[in-house]
Amino acid sequence: MNTPASSTAASAPTPVSAPSPAPPQVSASARASAPPQVSVSAPADPQARTDPQTRTDPRARTDPQAPVRLDLDKLFAARLQAARARPYLATALFALCVVPSRRVPTMAVDRYWRCYASPVFVDRTPLEELAGVWVHEVSHLLRDHHGRGDRVARERGLTGPAERLRMNIAADCEINDDVFGDGLVRPEGAVDPGLLRLPEGQLMEDYLRQFRLGRLTESVAWLDCGSGADGLEREWDLGPDGADGLSEQERDAVRFRVAQGINARPGHAPKGWQRWAEQAFHPPQPWRELLGAAVRSAACGGGAGEDYTYGRPARRSASLPGVVLPSLRRRPPRVAVVIDTSGSVSDAELGSALLEVAAIARAVGGRRDLVTVVPCDAAARVAHSLCRAEGIPLVGGGGTDLRTGFSKALRGRPAPDAVVVLTDGQTPWPDTRPPCRTVVGLFPRQRARASWDEDDPDHVPDSPPDWVRVVEIGSAPPGGR
Amino acid sequence: MLRDSTTEPRPDIQLEALTLAVAADLPVLLWGEPGIGKTAALTQLAAALDLPLTTVIASVHEPSDFSGLPVVGDDPAEQGVPMAPPDWAVRLVRAGRGLLFLDELSTAPPAVQAALLRLVLERRIGALRLPPGVRIVAAANPRSSAADGWELSPPLANRFVHLQWTHDQDVVVRGLGGTWPRATLPRLDPDGLAEAVGYARRAVCAFLTARPGLVHRLPSGETRRGGAWPSPRSWEMTLCLIAFATAAGSSREVLSLLVRGTVGDGPGLELMAGLDRMDLPDPETLLADPSGAVLPERGDLRQAVLDGVVAAVRKRPEKSRWDAAWALLARAMETGAPDVVVVPATTLAGLRRQDWDVPASIDRLAGAMSLSRRADRAADRAAARNAGTAKAAR
Repeated sequence: MNTPASSTAASAPTPVSAPSPAPPQVSASARASAPPQVSVSAPADPQARTDPQTRTDPRARTDPQAPVRLDLDKLFAARLQAARARPYLATALFALCVVPSRRVPTMAVDRYWRCYASPVFVDRTPLEELAGVWVHEVSHLLRDHHGRGDRVARERGLTGPAERLRMNIAADCEINDDVFGDGLVRPEGAVDPGLLRLPEGQLMEDYLRQFRLGRLTESVAWLDCGSGADGLEREWDLGPDGADGLSEQERDAVRFRVAQGINARPGHAPKGWQRWAEQAFHPPQPWRELLGAAVRSAACGGGAGEDYTYGRPARRSASLPGVVLPSLRRRPPRVAVVIDTSGSVSDAELGSALLEVAAIARAVGGRRDLVTVVPCDAAARVAHSLCRAEGIPLVGGGGTDLRTGFSKALRGRPAPDAVVVLTDGQTPWPDTRPPCRTVVGLFPRQRARASWDEDDPDHVPDSPPDWVRVVEIGSAPPGGR
Repeated sequence: MLRDSTTEPRPDIQLEALTLAVAADLPVLLWGEPGIGKTAALTQLAAALDLPLTTVIASVHEPSDFSGLPVVGDDPAEQGVPMAPPDWAVRLVRAGRGLLFLDELSTAPPAVQAALLRLVLERRIGALRLPPGVRIVAAANPRSSAADGWELSPPLANRFVHLQWTHDQDVVVRGLGGTWPRATLPRLDPDGLAEAVGYARRAVCAFLTARPGLVHRLPSGETRRGGAWPSPRSWEMTLCLIAFATAAGSSREVLSLLVRGTVGDGPGLELMAGLDRMDLPDPETLLADPSGAVLPERGDLRQAVLDGVVAAVRKRPEKSRWDAAWALLARAMETGAPDVVVVPATTLAGLRRQDWDVPASIDRLAGAMSLSRRADRAADRAAARNAGTAKAAR
């Protein structure tokens, strides 16, 4: 079915002409005064008009009178209110440069931190709603939605304006679920995950997988937050060479200042912004790569595995009499994997992590028989060799004491070159450093759990000691850069 | 015929940063996926600087190739065992100048990396010492693509300026079509160098005075391993880079790449933000001559300046300074967005002493005050509406 959303988005890049509930209102003079892009056309699909869910496009309320001048005072008063309601965003709000534009449907931003405002929209929107729009638009820029949109488009092969409209909707969902309230009014027609019947609190990339353009999104087909929200250049964009744009370094500096402000006083910003501030400049890396690098360097580091020795003469020695050459000797590393099989770690988590460790151990030259697995809950029972084809029974449950797992793994003969521990960290750790390198794959857990433990309300599990390398497994997808 | 290609001038931040670091005689490490054109960039750089290029693939060499091969002579007990350097080092020393390119650094075994430490830091290969005319550039594959790679040890990582090497799709397509970009190389202004060094010293010292914790901080956490981290050594490199970039008139983008590549992303960004603030006009200068003041255009910077002015008045409250600050605010009101002025104006009004008369210039701020009242009313309406929706939701 050719819905208005997909058809308009596909035919005209932006702004999409929207199904207007009252086409006769638009007179000839309005068409003449307004640039052709904003001409309000009759809906392509009659269904749109009959759909009771269709929300009104703010542009449809366009006054057929002469063009309105941009009410800068109103816009700035709204910005002031926004900065007062969200002091941690003030730097970013003031860094935006206002550009009046008649071609923008409402307000839009580009990637150079210009804010395009439609005079008619500013005139029609109550001041308190405008403040919400300010914060919304600046959120697109702070959250780098254009850069992330470009990356998603490249990774998933999404092309065309319709996909960019989807990105804009997904980005709006990411912002809108917690941006309003507490001094800010939700602007009319703001998109939120509820509209798409999706859960709140996810990222743009996640939302993008979960909906298509269709009946649910018909009402937001006019949505357009500009190239700052989805990465697609608009015809009203002034581009990189236009006046008052921020360079990449300046943009980073502003984002950095905002993030620092939030990190410095975390009590003042909501959870979503705190998460953003933590990850804006240190996005979590994929745990597979990190775990791989950690295991590799543990198993191959000095003293273990492959390195140069002067113990036996090199092969090149024969051709170079008189020269003392070291030789490369390779001793396949032995890796012991201690697995926390207590009730708090799920089978799926264990399975994926164990597979990963086995693959890494093979990649560093470990033969299957050199990788041992020690399932461990309150007590470690047996050490299994990975060469058993039928798989290893991961029995356990209940509490954890990894100290027994450590001693079991280290008692293996010959001794392992590296110990890899997969755990959720709710366990006591050995007091002394084991004689080989240790990598901990940590399943993230809420630390607040201990508070409702009836037996010991003050019990807080020990964090891993500082002689281990810790890799968080299953970290969130990159939220920042 | 297939090899024929022309070049065109095109600004290239990566190449400019690389050139600047090489000109400053700091070892550079290029991080990039295999086959991305790191070697091609080096060839171009060597041609532009008119230096002979020597490529050494670190991962296929042995530690002794960098630390020298012990050669047993006639009487080792008497004469000792000399460490013989490899032939490429001898040729490099004989030429006296050149570009040494150490490729595949991250896939070199730890022992080779340890041997490279001495080469990169002390510029020694065996008994030879590299002449000052030799520049060192290394390349490494990121951990994600180096399947059997070792990560760089923190001491080795700290000696390099890390540059991320990425490819630009347009450049590659156009290059394969026959036209590769040619970057214009930065030129140092010898007259400005002394001033630039002073500027760099001020910037780094002021920053480290304010943030003593960043003088030395070993990388913690898995994500930051193998990359740049702050230490006295890398801060000295940063100082050198700021001086060179300033003297060469390079853009902030180039400097940002370099600084972040030397001390790491977080401290680098903080320093860059500090540089931005350092370029802002001094509050005392502004107070001395409010009518001739030039305020920055950008709203956030302008507010930082005005806040600074008000803070200066608070520190030494005098009637004349208070009046000058009002004149400055009025000027800001007339030349830019009015909402930026509101907060400094409110603070300044609070600094008034009883015997101070309100200056005439305060009339010019009436717009800001009405804007503030308008925002207040809107905030009240917003609170009422939110309370209404909350009630309706219940």
